[in-house]
Amino acid sequence: MPASIVAQMAISGALMGLVYALIAYGFQLTYATSKSINFGQGELVMVSAFFSLTLLDLGLSYWLVLPAGLLFGAALGLVVERAAVRLALEQKSEGWILLTIILGLFFFSAAENIWGRDDRPFPTPIPSESFHVFGVDVTPLELSVAVGVLAVMGLIELLKRKTLLGKAFEAVSVDRDAGELMGISAKRTVMLSYALSGTVAALAGILVSPITTVGPTMASALVLKAFSVAVVAGLDSGFGVVLVGMFLGALETLASFYVGSGWREAPGLVLLILALAVRPTGVFGKAAIRKV
Amino acid sequence: MLKRLLLVRGAELLLFVSLAALPLAVRSPYALGLLTLLAIYGILLIGLDVTVGYLGQVNLAQAAFLGLGAYTAAIVVTHSGLGLVGALVIAPSVCFVLGALLALPALRLEGPQFALATLSFTALATTALNELEWLTQGAQGFSLSRPPLLGHALGARDFYWLCMALLAMVWIAMRNLLSSQWGRAFEALRDSPIATDAMGVGTYRHKVAAFAFGSGLGGLAGALYAFNFQYLQPQSFVYELTVILLLGVVLGGRKSLWGAFVGATLVALLPNLLSNRTLFQAFSALGLAVALAAGARGLVRRTMRPFQAIAPVVATLTLVLGGLVVENTEDWRKAIFALMLFSVVVGLPEGLMGFATRFLAQLLRIAPPTLPPASPLDAVLPARPADGAVLLELRDLRRHFGGVKAVDGVSLSVRAGHVHGLIGPNGSGKSTLVNVVSGLYTPTSGVALLRGSALPQGSLVRVARAGVARTFQNLQLFTGLTALENVMVALTGVYRAPLPFVLLGLGRAEDRRARADALALLELVGLGDEARTPAKDLTYGAQRFLEIARALARKPEVLILDEPAAGLAHPDVVKQVEIIRRIRQRGVTIVLIEHHMDVVTQLCDVVTALDGGKLIAEGTPDEVKRHPKVIEAYLGNVGDVATEPAPPAAGARIS
Amino acid sequence: MTKLFGTLLLCALSLPVSAADAVKIAVTGPFTGGSAPMGASMRDGAKLAIAEINAAGGIQVGDKKLKIETVERDDEAKNERGALIAQELAAMADLSGVIGSVNTGVVLAGDKHLQDRGIVKIITPAAGSASMTQWAKGAEGPKTLSMFRFAAHDGIQAAMVVEEAINRKYAKVALLHDSTNYGVSGRDDLVRQMKLQGDKLQVVATEKFNIGDKDMTAQLLRAKAGGAQAILIWGIGPEMAAVANGMAKLGMKVPLIGGWTLSMSNFIDNAGKNGNGTLMPQTFIEEPITPKAKAFIEAYHKAYGVTRIASPVSAAQGYDAVYLFAAAVKQAKSTDSQKIREALEDLKEPVSGVIATWKKPYGKWDPSNVETHEAFRREQVVMGMIQDGRVVFANERDRARLQKSGNM
Repeated sequence: MPASIVAQMAISGALMGLVYALIAYGFQLTYATSKSINFGQGELVMVSAFFSLTLLDLGLSYWLVLPAGLLFGAALGLVVERAAVRLALEQKSEGWILLTIILGLFFFSAAENIWGRDDRPFPTPIPSESFHVFGVDVTPLELSVAVGVLAVMGLIELLKRKTLLGKAFEAVSVDRDAGELMGISAKRTVMLSYALSGTVAALAGILVSPITTVGPTMASALVLKAFSVAVVAGLDSGFGVVLVGMFLGALETLASFYVGSGWREAPGLVLLILALAVRPTGVFGKAAIRKV
Repeated sequence: MLKRLLLVRGAELLLFVSLAALPLAVRSPYALGLLTLLAIYGILLIGLDVTVGYLGQVNLAQAAFLGLGAYTAAIVVTHSGLGLVGALVIAPSVCFVLGALLALPALRLEGPQFALATLSFTALATTALNELEWLTQGAQGFSLSRPPLLGHALGARDFYWLCMALLAMVWIAMRNLLSSQWGRAFEALRDSPIATDAMGVGTYRHKVAAFAFGSGLGGLAGALYAFNFQYLQPQSFVYELTVILLLGVVLGGRKSLWGAFVGATLVALLPNLLSNRTLFQAFSALGLAVALAAGARGLVRRTMRPFQAIAPVVATLTLVLGGLVVENTEDWRKAIFALMLFSVVVGLPEGLMGFATRFLAQLLRIAPPTLPPASPLDAVLPARPADGAVLLELRDLRRHFGGVKAVDGVSLSVRAGHVHGLIGPNGSGKSTLVNVVSGLYTPTSGVALLRGSALPQGSLVRVARAGVARTFQNLQLFTGLTALENVMVALTGVYRAPLPFVLLGLGRAEDRRARADALALLELVGLGDEARTPAKDLTYGAQRFLEIARALARKPEVLILDEPAAGLAHPDVVKQVEIIRRIRQRGVTIVLIEHHMDVVTQLCDVVTALDGGKLIAEGTPDEVKRHPKVIEAYLGNVGDVATEPAPPAAGARIS
Repeated sequence: MTKLFGTLLLCALSLPVSAADAVKIAVTGPFTGGSAPMGASMRDGAKLAIAEINAAGGIQVGDKKLKIETVERDDEAKNERGALIAQELAAMADLSGVIGSVNTGVVLAGDKHLQDRGIVKIITPAAGSASMTQWAKGAEGPKTLSMFRFAAHDGIQAAMVVEEAINRKYAKVALLHDSTNYGVSGRDDLVRQMKLQGDKLQVVATEKFNIGDKDMTAQLLRAKAGGAQAILIWGIGPEMAAVANGMAKLGMKVPLIGGWTLSMSNFIDNAGKNGNGTLMPQTFIEEPITPKAKAFIEAYHKAYGVTRIASPVSAAQGYDAVYLFAAAVKQAKSTDSQKIREALEDLKEPVSGVIATWKKPYGKWDPSNVETHEAFRREQVVMGMIQDGRVVFANERDRARLQKSGNM
């Protein structure tokens, strides 16, 4: 098999894997502050994408729609936090798992009825014609996702390490009550993390839509992969998601080619279960010492 | 007692009799189809409830087991001569084994990680069913016909009765299992895996068992599913179904057979009932009324947070208004389902049946089952000879974490019948030492010997079984269980009935015995009257006492008490001292880690002081208190202070 | 609880509106989820026809005119739901017939209940061959069948696809299909047709993709490495657009030829210019070439506030199916399903539809010949091609023929 074909597959797969990574960030952000994640994250991606598409249809320019879409995503994130997460956190129960699933179901049904059930293209100023480098075809669209992921990752790491807010995130994540005593409002920090998570979902929606098309089911397959990536990488590892995402994406493509296209996902799934069994907190996650 | 039995069993009997009689009255094949599905889902959800309710884990693999069971049954009846009965045995067995296998890697996982592992399994199972075309016919689907039962062709009604009979059998077997030691162990596992191990119960065995059982029931439901629909496709058993099943369990109410059944009813019937607009409007209006009443009541009595009272009202109001505005409710069915679920999950976190049972128990004044009289303490905790021989010996024990030498070569001997104190400033290595001895950590080097033979290393369960029991500085109670059940989980030497007997309900006698024994231990620590109180509702002091009673249920040779008086108010400290004295009188050897110097002085025969992971002094409490190294360790180097340093004041909490 | 449950059940069973003076038809299909564009377009086309009939006073049944009353059921493309809905419909005492179904699995899981009760069903717009062949078991098959299919069956479509590839002088092709029942049966039909048509095509790659897949690089590289001159594709939905886009990315300039589902907007829109030149058999093309077609398209656009039909084929088939059914009711002079079945098997008068003028579309059921309950013949199907976002006639001949046939 010529090396260029293998390279093409690995690179195409890895670029797709970055999409998983971008969505996976949304899980990490909320997990960092509240140990909870939004199981309806895919619906946030989808609804934000539809919303942005509507703005585009109204004739707004892409560069105006982008911030508007992100704001909308943040607002949705806040809705999720208020309606599905806050109560459960206050009661220290795991009710958020169900409530976020339920909210996702609601968003899904609403989107089907408001925007229709069909998949639609998402216009973008970023060209989709591929170019050829080192024997590999890549489209600028795919690269834009890569840039988006890396930008988000950079920004978030910067935020975490350099700002007071980042410290607050960490404090609340380590010990909610202690953080509270230090004058950090756990409630606000969690709200903020959900808003940020919604923003990342919206960014994913806007960046990914030109590749995946916009439709009610656009993110349902992606979000499961993203979830896998987030958990396998470790729900607290920023760099991990990028690496795991790219690895999983490439693995899928290669498995599809060598094992058979029907078995595309199988090697990834087996590895995933094994990886978790060996390192429950994720490959790049902090290993927890059992304390009593 | 009789009233309770009558009402609870009577309700179950009534349910099954009326369900069995229903097809005689309702002849519509559609109704029969729904009822059959209800029975199948009932079995499926009872299985799911084992992991979701009792184990407390989000299990997303149940749909896969439904599918695997269905395909197994289909393949068995198509390709072998084993027929219906064979399929009904093989399908659950296959799923039982697969469930146990999946539990192995999933064993160490919790929360999102567990959810993901099970979700991946579902995806993997679907892929396999899709791709193994030679066996499953892949996406084309597998058609089969319903085989006869022992020579009798099964009509729709006969098949329904078969499903109902199996549901009733599963119901009874699971009730027997879940009300036995197994069920308690599952719940214990949910609340504190560490304590479950430390009580010698073994997380491993029970987690695998719970998962295997739940999966086996999934397989049984799958076999019935196959014979009901007679056409299978892999994509019927995917993530979406799994989520709906999960919601069904929670809606109905976790940890309850009734809850699983109600959940099954909702999952099976709701989508079909919602197709009917009039019915939907009636439902939503009823929902709004209930939400308003419950919300107002909750707000007035302050039993609900405002959000909890208001959100369901908003959701149901949206339903009612939406019902008037929206032209085609069929299109919005998922949103309707979501709003209904939302109201229930927020407003009734215990699920419909959790709420209903509590309500009915109040209304009908059903008393909880009476407790048997406590066993004589001598039968439960026979007095041991306090011969002063060396019982527990540590030889040069070390435990390093990276560069930190938490325990650095400690050797000491604990004599039978003694209370052996272990003191030292924070970070001196006391807790690590205890954690090494009790098996939580593996020692870096060195050994611990019990009566001269080496204790197992790095395994809480095995150390516990060897005869060393412990309590925890940070309480590790099974919070969801009652005080009595906490003790019963740990109780050793009572449960002998093998699993099949338990399923058949033949373990009840020993369960009664366990109850009586546990009660004796509760009385020993003064909690006889709190037997039925959930551990999480006990006062802090009582929780500390309960931990001791629970550890005693192991009938240990050595009892390690890790700061039993920490955080206790003075009267409780006095009680605690009294309790420890009583235990000592029974000849139990005690290792006591404590900061309260007066407690140490009052109770200990020998005290060992640690600092920096090393032993610095040993002797009677008074000797150790005056030992210069001990004083230095607690107060820092005070050599240049002219006056003789005061020993740590009695009663002062040194930290 | 038991009581509540019993009451609910009774309500559910007794509430369905009694319709003594109406013809009750059920319309079923996936109206939500991934197959919804087909299901919903079919439903809307059918409702358009029903509205027209009702506006004209209803169907002449014997001496009175009866309006049509519809029951809608969303099967969500789930077999289990499909089976339950079929049971529900089978239990309705006054139901005259059923129109619908997209997914083969749903049909296989549910139709037996309708057949048991002898309720007429017109299967449209999709559902693979298995939906009819399950009954055609020769001597073992049922003697009477109340299932009728109103869709270009996969045999015709696959034959046309293979024929097109041969006509275009291709020697090497790749087969791509989705992993659903529809895709897999399509693959098998294509392989069968290649044999039937003399093994002139060499298959260099047979590849699958899952619903929701976005990256087709691996599958396409296999086709490319094998030197495929055309890609024969069978699937539903936007994944096929991902294939077209992936081909553009990898610089593969070979045509896509596949089933009629390629004409759905979710392919055309999402593939954009990469979809140009894609070929697929069509029963209806959204082009106002005849007055009848023009009227239908305009009415549809107006009724549902759209400028383009999500799946024109589904809409047109739903529309025509209702007219066929109405004609059968009229001829039977009864709302009884048995009589309607007999009438459908022997329609005396031609029915003018938007796809064609149907003259005796069905015959008496012969368990060894599935064609007796298939409405579409080769001549009602044309090859369509995508050009700048619309489906046009691939061959000018077809267009001329249809215009002339005067259907309209």
